[in-house]
Amino acid sequence: MGELTVEHFLFLSAALFIIGMMGVLTRRNMLIILMCIELMVAAVSISFVAFAWESNTLGGQIFVLFALAVAAAEAAVGLGIILALSRRGKSVDVDDLRSLRD
Amino acid sequence: MSWDVVFFYLIAAVSLITALGVVAARNPVHSGIFLILCFVNIAGIFVMLGAEFLAVIQIIVYTGAILVLVLFVIMLVDPEDLPSFHTAEPLQRYLSFLLGAVLLLEIGAAIVTRTGIVGTGTATPENVAAVGGNTQALGRIIYSKYLLAFEVTSLVLTVGVIGAVVLALPERLGERLNTRRGTISLSHSRGTDEALPEGPRGETPIRVDRNRPAPPAAAAQRTIILTKDPDAHTRVGQTSDRTRQG
Repeated sequence: MGELTVEHFLFLSAALFIIGMMGVLTRRNMLIILMCIELMVAAVSISFVAFAWESNTLGGQIFVLFALAVAAAEAAVGLGIILALSRRGKSVDVDDLRSLRD
Repeated sequence: MSWDVVFFYLIAAVSLITALGVVAARNPVHSGIFLILCFVNIAGIFVMLGAEFLAVIQIIVYTGAILVLVLFVIMLVDPEDLPSFHTAEPLQRYLSFLLGAVLLLEIGAAIVTRTGIVGTGTATPENVAAVGGNTQALGRIIYSKYLLAFEVTSLVLTVGVIGAVVLALPERLGERLNTRRGTISLSHSRGTDEALPEGPRGETPIRVDRNRPAPPAAAAQRTIILTKDPDAHTRVGQTSDRTRQG
């Protein structure tokens, strides 16, 4: 309890990741699911930075930088898909999206 | 207990509460605002871990760009398309709680039982400060050791931008340009005459089937009449049926 250790950050990262995962599993709105995925990416990046801080290296921070770029591209494409779905008059509810199956 | 720990628990509590708010909020806009708060708190965590550059990038990219994009899309999507708030089936919800608890136990066990890797690297705070700070140290590594990965990232971003633009384009962009050719009316203020059947709002009046090529006969039979009196020739466009009958 006295000093700040890496375990503090790892537990925070795990809790945030699991909250994001439960959001992905329980919500039906595609926009919310996309936001929860962003939350999970951010939670994992906390782990990366914490490990880099513990081992006195900078590789973890570089990795977070790349993950940030990939998350930005993923958000742009995901929002484009949502917009295209909405424009074609379909719903943004993931339970209704089964046109590949029918 | 030092101030570090107090601040850590404060930031951790706020970020966990706002993360729960993202999942539990009924309104998607509220979820977005909660996510902004959560990301700002995560940037605070980065500052505590000595990654100042990442903290600033986190705020600029996530809250400045991505979340603004999300809020724009929320406003563009028709509210009727959004599903009403409901947290899945009860079975699904219990399963997700169970899965979350199991995953938390597993990760907790892994964290507690792991062996630390303390201080093996050379990027100690003193060395980083000697280079000129966190940003300079990161820049030196990116542009030497990770140069290829950096370039590939730019490729990924380019492909992402192209994909987003292609996905967001209107479906019948090409057809809209030549649908109204031949029905120009100089007398009407809006440039088209009323002969075209009214389609649903926001769409082109003529139904265009993408899979079938447009019939070429319609454009040939249509006649353009230049007139100054708008009421004299209001039915110019519907030529194809009437010319055949008369």
